[in-house]
Amino acid sequence: MSKAVAAQPSTTLGRWWHKWRFHINVLLLLVPLGFMPKYFADASLFRGDSGLGEREIGIVQVGPWSLKLAEFRNEAPRPDGPAGYMKSFNAALCDTCIDQVKAAYLRIGKPRSLRAAGVIFFGTPYRMGATMPIPDRTKADAELWITLEGWDGSMHQASIPLSQASPATVAWLAQRGTK
Amino acid sequence: MSKKSRSKLWFLVHSWLTLPIWFFVLIVCVTGTLAVVSQEIVWLATPEARSTQPFDDAPLLTYEQALTAIHKAEPNLAVQSISRPDESHFALVARVVYPDGRSPSLYINPYTGAIQGESPSFDFQAFTRALHGWWLVPFTNGFSWGWYLVSFLGLPLLGSLITGLVVYKKFWKGFFKPNLRFNHGARIFWGDFHRLCGIWSIWFIAVISITGLWFLIQAFMFDNQISISTAGNPPVVARQDVPIMPDGKPAPQISLDQAVKIAAERIPGLEASFVSLPSNAYGHIEVGGPGWYPLLFQTAEINPYNGAIEGSRMIADRSGLELVTESMRPLHTGDFGGLWVKLIWFFFGLILSMMILSGLLIWTKRTALATANAFKRSEKSQRAPAKTQTATAHSQQPEEANV
Repeated sequence: MSKAVAAQPSTTLGRWWHKWRFHINVLLLLVPLGFMPKYFADASLFRGDSGLGEREIGIVQVGPWSLKLAEFRNEAPRPDGPAGYMKSFNAALCDTCIDQVKAAYLRIGKPRSLRAAGVIFFGTPYRMGATMPIPDRTKADAELWITLEGWDGSMHQASIPLSQASPATVAWLAQRGTK
Repeated sequence: MSKKSRSKLWFLVHSWLTLPIWFFVLIVCVTGTLAVVSQEIVWLATPEARSTQPFDDAPLLTYEQALTAIHKAEPNLAVQSISRPDESHFALVARVVYPDGRSPSLYINPYTGAIQGESPSFDFQAFTRALHGWWLVPFTNGFSWGWYLVSFLGLPLLGSLITGLVVYKKFWKGFFKPNLRFNHGARIFWGDFHRLCGIWSIWFIAVISITGLWFLIQAFMFDNQISISTAGNPPVVARQDVPIMPDGKPAPQISLDQAVKIAAERIPGLEASFVSLPSNAYGHIEVGGPGWYPLLFQTAEINPYNGAIEGSRMIADRSGLELVTESMRPLHTGDFGGLWVKLIWFFFGLILSMMILSGLLIWTKRTALATANAFKRSEKSQRAPAKTQTATAHSQQPEEANV
């Protein structure tokens, strides 16, 4: 089609544009093609086909109960506007405690009371998620506290080192600390 | 600038808008057209997604009856929500989680409650929407740049509409005297086709480009923490309202049908088209459906322990601005008036895709040359005589000869 255009632009940039302008289409088409594997990996992650999360942390015993914990994404916290940096974890309650646990919470640092237990998990006992803010001042040796509240009013807590819960977050904190 | 050369300039602007990215624009139009009827395509391709009445006059199950039927068949399944597509030929869709953590959607027969099948792991609806809406670019920090890329196209689309109407002299006459010449060669045919489709699509192109630009504004506002929302934070059930059970078993909750009944009393005319179960012990049952204004949903949050309505979002709760902005999405997708509206959107989506192709055909047959000529005319005086000669030779060719 460009053969109809007889006059060639005189500047180098103009000639370059003239020669390559329709190749923008190709570049634009490469975008969804390139992101397609990522799209399907995410779709499978959201649907639970590829497990609880990108990185399983393991089973955490919390009093008489236990839950399986996973990092939703095996990566550093993501920025979320004014809320700061957020990190998501997924969890599944043990089979026998499904009917006994009323709610599950997650927090960095030991909660002083049930009312300050942190962010609550949403979802079903088989697969629930919680997204928590990661403050900038979080120490590398911080602990992730899990609080389970029973229907009978009881409360049980357990903690794991943040370095075990999310090495990517600890690495990210270290990197931010040096800046 | 004379009137004639000004209209020539408009014509060149119209011809060159988005031309270098014509294939991108075409794919966005085609995927958008497919996305409009993606639910229907799934219906055609997936027998399990259809609703079959076991016998004439078989009554539809209520939400609680459907939930009971699901639990009877799969006692360990956790149900998150049940929705009733707004046309009777679709099965109910239940979002569920299996004990192994997989969370597909299930197609439920609306008359018998039978689990007809599981949504395939390739979600055609979600895929076409993701391709059309954000070019598959993942959302990692606010809106994805693919979203900006696609929604930015609203600008050249609106520009094409305006410049097209400027250069098409007395376009309104085309409504009364449709002109589609078949016997005058390809260029004439595609030119007539482009103009005819264009004037009948004025409303559609305006709707799509303006709503598309809204998506751009929406992303920009979100990413810059500008909010016009009058909706508060979603309510949570107060701690003292969640019973403590001495036996350690979950507290009893009201049935979904009770929740629907309570919502219907509060929202006159509400036809509950979905019910979401509480997402934890402090969550509400959410009942929602379209109200008197078909473009927007109304929802009510019902305390599952005592049946109190603790939150609601009615048409009347929206500000005037929100009524406009929240109407943008349904106007863009054509999903507000059942199958016929979708088919109208689908039809004009096809027409719009054809206009891109016909515009391109016209361009290859005419505009490339016209542009070269205009370019040469402007340079004529500054150029060396020898070069002028060749340019003149070209520009002397009659335009129709280039058809």
